[in-house]
Amino acid sequence: MSTVQAILSGALIGGMFAVMAVGLSLTWGMLRIINLAHFGMILLGAYLTFQIATSWGIDPLLTLVVTVPLMFVLGALLQWAFDRFGVAELNSLLVSFGILIIVIQTVSNVWSADFQRMTGEVNPYATGSLSLGRLVFPAPTLLAFGTAVVLVGAAHVVLQRTFAGRALRAFEQDRSVASAFGIDHRRLSMVLAGASGATAAVAGMLFALSNALTPSTPFEWFGIVFAVVILGGIGQILGTLVAGVLVGTLSALVSVLWSPSLAPFVLFSAIILALLFRPQGLFTQGAAR
Amino acid sequence: MIRRGLAGFVVVFAVLAALPFVREEIGLPVFYLTLASTVLFWIAQATSWNILSGYSGYFSFGQGAFVGLGAYTTAVLTGRRGVDFFWTLPISAALGVILALAVGALAFRLRSFRGEIFALLTLAVPFILASLARVNEGIDGGQGVVVSIPEFPEQIGLFPDFLFLLNLTIATAAVAAAFAIQNSRFGWALASIRDAEDVAEGLGVATYRYKMMAIAVNGLIGSVSGSVFALQIGFVTVEGVFGLAIPLFVIVMSVLGGRSHWLGPVIGAVVIVTMQDRLADAGYEGWRLIILGAILAILVVVAPEGLQVRLQQRPWISLGAFAGVVGVLAVLRVWGEPLDWFAAGMVAAAVAALWPARRRRAVPAGAAHARAAPVETSTESLSIERPRPVLGDVVVEIDEVARLFGGVRALDGVTVGIRAGELVGLVGPNGSGKTTLVNLLSGAIAPTRGRIVVGGQDIRGLQPHRVAHIGVTRTYQIPRPFDSMTVLDNVAMAIMFGRESRSLVDARRAAGRQLDLVGLGHRGDAKPAEINLHERQLLEMARAVAAGPTVLLLDEALAGLNPVEIDQAVRVVRRIHDAGITIVIVEHLLRVVNQLATRVVVLDRGSVLADGEPQAVMRNPEVVRAYLGKHAHA
Repeated sequence: MSTVQAILSGALIGGMFAVMAVGLSLTWGMLRIINLAHFGMILLGAYLTFQIATSWGIDPLLTLVVTVPLMFVLGALLQWAFDRFGVAELNSLLVSFGILIIVIQTVSNVWSADFQRMTGEVNPYATGSLSLGRLVFPAPTLLAFGTAVVLVGAAHVVLQRTFAGRALRAFEQDRSVASAFGIDHRRLSMVLAGASGATAAVAGMLFALSNALTPSTPFEWFGIVFAVVILGGIGQILGTLVAGVLVGTLSALVSVLWSPSLAPFVLFSAIILALLFRPQGLFTQGAAR
Repeated sequence: MIRRGLAGFVVVFAVLAALPFVREEIGLPVFYLTLASTVLFWIAQATSWNILSGYSGYFSFGQGAFVGLGAYTTAVLTGRRGVDFFWTLPISAALGVILALAVGALAFRLRSFRGEIFALLTLAVPFILASLARVNEGIDGGQGVVVSIPEFPEQIGLFPDFLFLLNLTIATAAVAAAFAIQNSRFGWALASIRDAEDVAEGLGVATYRYKMMAIAVNGLIGSVSGSVFALQIGFVTVEGVFGLAIPLFVIVMSVLGGRSHWLGPVIGAVVIVTMQDRLADAGYEGWRLIILGAILAILVVVAPEGLQVRLQQRPWISLGAFAGVVGVLAVLRVWGEPLDWFAAGMVAAAVAALWPARRRRAVPAGAAHARAAPVETSTESLSIERPRPVLGDVVVEIDEVARLFGGVRALDGVTVGIRAGELVGLVGPNGSGKTTLVNLLSGAIAPTRGRIVVGGQDIRGLQPHRVAHIGVTRTYQIPRPFDSMTVLDNVAMAIMFGRESRSLVDARRAAGRQLDLVGLGHRGDAKPAEINLHERQLLEMARAVAAGPTVLLLDEALAGLNPVEIDQAVRVVRRIHDAGITIVIVEHLLRVVNQLATRVVVLDRGSVLADGEPQAVMRNPEVVRAYLGKHAHA
């Protein structure tokens, strides 16, 4: 029974990893920017959720009204800078690593390195749960999963159906041709980067709902989130959701059957195998080129 | 050159090694040696990282894996098993090499592996080791391991003196190794991998082997230095050694110092460690990582080549800034202690070196020159009918070859024999499989079915560098020179690693002759970025010829040239052919093919449509139809 419970909870938590990964995957796939600063934005989103909910005493979900626009602007600004200085691929990895370190240290200077957690009064979701028979699902994980489904679904529809989405996909496949057809890549990239910043704000809020915060948490996300991005296929958002559920289930299963400390080992071994045998992602059809 | 340099390292080592023995006489506080130990540790780590990631361009986030492996080896063996400290050093060296080779064997296996995927893969390795260490009670079990101070010779006064000597030995060895590698074939091979990996492979560089060697050296130095690190910190924890601080530091140091020169990481380590120490001392603990992150983010954009290159360009300004700041602070004596002055001076020198210069880059000397001087000095006339070369045995046998990409048939049932001394024009409409055939012949891809035999040897499944050594080299449609090397060294690379491997000195001498053959002799000292497209295409040919092929594949070597340049290039191709090299040329311009080729092979939709004398092939109605459309000949 506990195994079934673990698998289901893991799958739901996987939703949060998918929300964390979707922005990273999009900017990597579409803009060729591996934005480690994305983790910094998630961290910042989580801390802002904590701070605003605590000091104003409002529902944590409502903090999104502040954090989402803020992160949108931050993401777009960052993209503007990347574009302005011609930073892409490997260099973007280095530059954004530097930015991530700055964010982490700043957060630590502002909120201290101690754990911070929203109290039960401001965070009604922490204690809520849904019971189905003997299975119990905590409200935050349900919320995370629901958000993931909505977010990924919406992003998928936008990319497939709208003009901007088509333009972006054209841009991904061949930049110069897309530009020649009059696609304003600068504005589009900034909107996309802003949107993935907004997903970081959402991911941060979801994380803050059920976890205590400390500045070094991004390093713990690294492995899982990159696993989700790579397994799902870089730039493939539906793949991200599936991979998130897969990764969540796998680590929950390993934690229950062996030991929580071994979860990273199994997870990273899975990434390495995936990189070696299906570098284009588990669910992508055909060769990458 | 290498021997003199290494002698220099011995002298530097001897002088520094004397410090612990005379420190009381010259009044040097022990604190300075402790700081120096930290500097030397990071010099060893950054240098070790740089040999793989700087020289070959494969960025690793996994330096912590080697440090942690070394630290835990020493901590566990000395503490729990009672092994003597000195015996743990060779053990962690061996383990480091084994781990490095295992990672390399996984990561370098796929030829199409991209750099950023390698970076993420190496990011995973320390996490895996960390979780193993955390779970395994025999290693750590989540508690951390205390490292006891080992016994050391009495002559060495205090423990910090001993640590200093250990770190000094390892750091000197590491830097000397980096120096020797940079100035040897190994270093040249790594540089060519960084610039253009598949081109290097195609010219005969055994890229896989050199990458494995580089990662092995990385692992060896990283883990031995990690062993000493265990002594230095006294208490080894999973977070302390496998965390991201170590890769962050080595990357920032190498990026700051410069990644293509052995001195770069040394400079970077000295500047960063001193600055971090001073900031902590002044109570700005919370700013250390912010400054580090900012340095990384800004430098990658502003000065990706690093301090070492900049200092070389402005030695006097930087030295002046350093001396000025240190001098003023020393005279005024209103702030800090000598170490602060030193740190401030270094920051001033770094800023002076990195300050963006007003771009005075007029037209590079070469570009103007090239337009003025006639590239071609030959008097050979274009239109003279040359005697047909004597044809030899079949050198290339393409037998029923097919190549599929997924479901797409790029080539199917292609059978062509090429005899020594032929100059085969390979033509066909777009998408007919010409480039696929070139890729198959050079070993870049393997045929799905069929056999390709070159000089009696089946090349199926051989690495491209082996195929180059058998005698097939190629040029690329879009020239892909090694950007960090001069035009002359581009050619010397091909000679060094070509069919008969030669020393650098020999290769450079011979490279001049190869450049003369294509009429580029006067551009030898230019960097590839400074020459025009035509010259780059000639360089591409010179380089491919320099590897000593029996068969040369020219993939649209004349694309994008103007008529005058085409005539010159045609003469060069003839001259290469006259030198006894069999040539296969892919070309769209039928005029050129008619002029040059002794035989024409026409491909259409993956199979051979016609094969024979140029004139006869061009009159073949099917060829005309393939080229001009169904109804053209009617």
